Amino acid sequence: MIKAFRELGHYLDVTLQVIKMAVMTIIEYPANIAGWMISNPLQFIMGFAIIKFVVESFGEVGGWNYGQLAFLYGLSVISHALSMIFFVQGWFMGYYVIEGEFDRYLTRPLGVLYQFFFTNINIFGITDLIPGILVFVYGCVKCAVHVTPLFVLQVIVTLIGATLIRGGIYIFLGSTSFHTRSATDFGQYTQEIMDKTTMYPISMYPESLQFILTYLIPIGWVSFYPVSSMLGIENNIYNGMLLPFVTLLVGIVMMCLAGGYFTLGLAKYESAGN
Amino acid sequence: MIEVRNLSKDYKLKHKEPGLKGAIKGLLKPRFETVHAVKDLSFEIREGEIVGFIGPNGAGKSTTIKMMSGILTPDKGSVLINGEDITKHRKAVVQNIGVVFGQRTQLNWDLRLGESFELLKHIYQIKQDEYEKTLDDLDAILSVRELLNKPVRQMSLGQRVKGDLVASMLHSPKVLFLDEPTIGLDVSSKYALRKFIREINRLRKTTVILTTHDLGDIQELCERIIIINHGVLMEDGNLSQIVDRIAPYKTLVVEFYDETAPEHEKCEMTEHAGNIAKYRFMKNDTTAAEIIADLSAIKSIKDVSIEEAGIDDIIRVAYGS
Repeated sequence: MIKAFRELGHYLDVTLQVIKMAVMTIIEYPANIAGWMISNPLQFIMGFAIIKFVVESFGEVGGWNYGQLAFLYGLSVISHALSMIFFVQGWFMGYYVIEGEFDRYLTRPLGVLYQFFFTNINIFGITDLIPGILVFVYGCVKCAVHVTPLFVLQVIVTLIGATLIRGGIYIFLGSTSFHTRSATDFGQYTQEIMDKTTMYPISMYPESLQFILTYLIPIGWVSFYPVSSMLGIENNIYNGMLLPFVTLLVGIVMMCLAGGYFTLGLAKYESAGN
Repeated sequence: MIEVRNLSKDYKLKHKEPGLKGAIKGLLKPRFETVHAVKDLSFEIREGEIVGFIGPNGAGKSTTIKMMSGILTPDKGSVLINGEDITKHRKAVVQNIGVVFGQRTQLNWDLRLGESFELLKHIYQIKQDEYEKTLDDLDAILSVRELLNKPVRQMSLGQRVKGDLVASMLHSPKVLFLDEPTIGLDVSSKYALRKFIREINRLRKTTVILTTHDLGDIQELCERIIIINHGVLMEDGNLSQIVDRIAPYKTLVVEFYDETAPEHEKCEMTEHAGNIAKYRFMKNDTTAAEIIADLSAIKSIKDVSIEEAGIDDIIRVAYGS
């Protein structure tokens, strides 16, 4: 027990140092910040503008009204931003595999997956948080939600679970590189699919697709089910106030499975010749 | 200190055939060839040794050193460092090893060198006073403190390798692995690096394992060499003993006054160009003095010199087989 706490302390200590260094790196290249600050939020504000246009033209999407869609969209962008901060490196895992960059992590006394994500922590992901929070708060106001302790808990639990689900998917896709030995960057495709399935209610898709998104690739749990639960919107598959906690559970399970798959891959790691 | 037991590692290579037809065939019915990168390697390394791994490109040196440092998982066999299996207890064992791999750096490109050291201090949980003391010790050998405030991206290769060497020693590892550390370095950086290795070995009893193609590194640093070819251990032992065994000859270079050179029954004329002839003789067979006496009885000699068999002869013999 004491040993576990000491280890946790060690990881926290390294994490703080890594964050410090990430901030220093950002300050080193100030022009980059300006670029990200403009392009990243703009991307999502535009995305939301499209939703507004669609709703104004058709009334509602998959049985969801404008305010509810804003709530869903905002929460989804927030968990997207969190996954960009902590797990975006998963997109580029193939390069690390091919270039032999895991050598360094393997010769240091910390978990390999931890080092891979945290020594490359992407502080710039914060720029995605801003539009996410703006749209989410806007959605909360439009839906006139009562901010109860349960609601706050549901939001926090959903965000943690959703971030873990996203991270798990990135790790799964990235880890295939250990087996294929190719540096395919799945990032763009993943992003496309995730955007289309988490920023809109999946109830607008055919039932077969809903089945896949619920059980096979559990993207439905990133935003659709927990938000349905928080806003009390009925769907055909799952309902109830516990859904955000299921999201957390799905996230933890996804992470464990992805971690296992990564570990299997790592044993096949071939480094790079020199 | 380090025990390597029956270490083996195979790579699977997809057999490729030419053309589109070949590519489709490879897709539908893939055929794999197994390449034995390392085959049944066993040896032991004692504390405080400096061991040089040599062998041609693709011989399995890097694969071996990467298995020894926990980067690659062996297919068979084990590597024990201080009695602990590195594959099974990676995190504990790597606390005691340092690694510098040729062209690859573990330093943060964007920040000053000191920042990379700071991160390592946290990763290896080095106490501040210990850290300062180690840095002082290393600075005395390699003067690195003057580089602490320089961003790594602005460093020359020589400076960066210095930074990497110090980085790998900050946590005072008992074993240091170096994979082709002198590659691309100029003479003075190479000299500094060799001095660093000798000094940490002498002062801190660090066991050093290095692979190199630079024979100078081997001659100046290594008492013991391990020659690997085709993944198999060819030679393992004291450098001068291996030289004596594999290349037990010397070469006598004789300059005459004209272009004819007489043969000698106890040696082989390996080269003859112009006035100069080279005679190779076995050390236990005869002596240079005897050959000079015999030759000068037949023809007058202008000048002589003796070439010792060296490490490059060993490598020629070992790689050739």
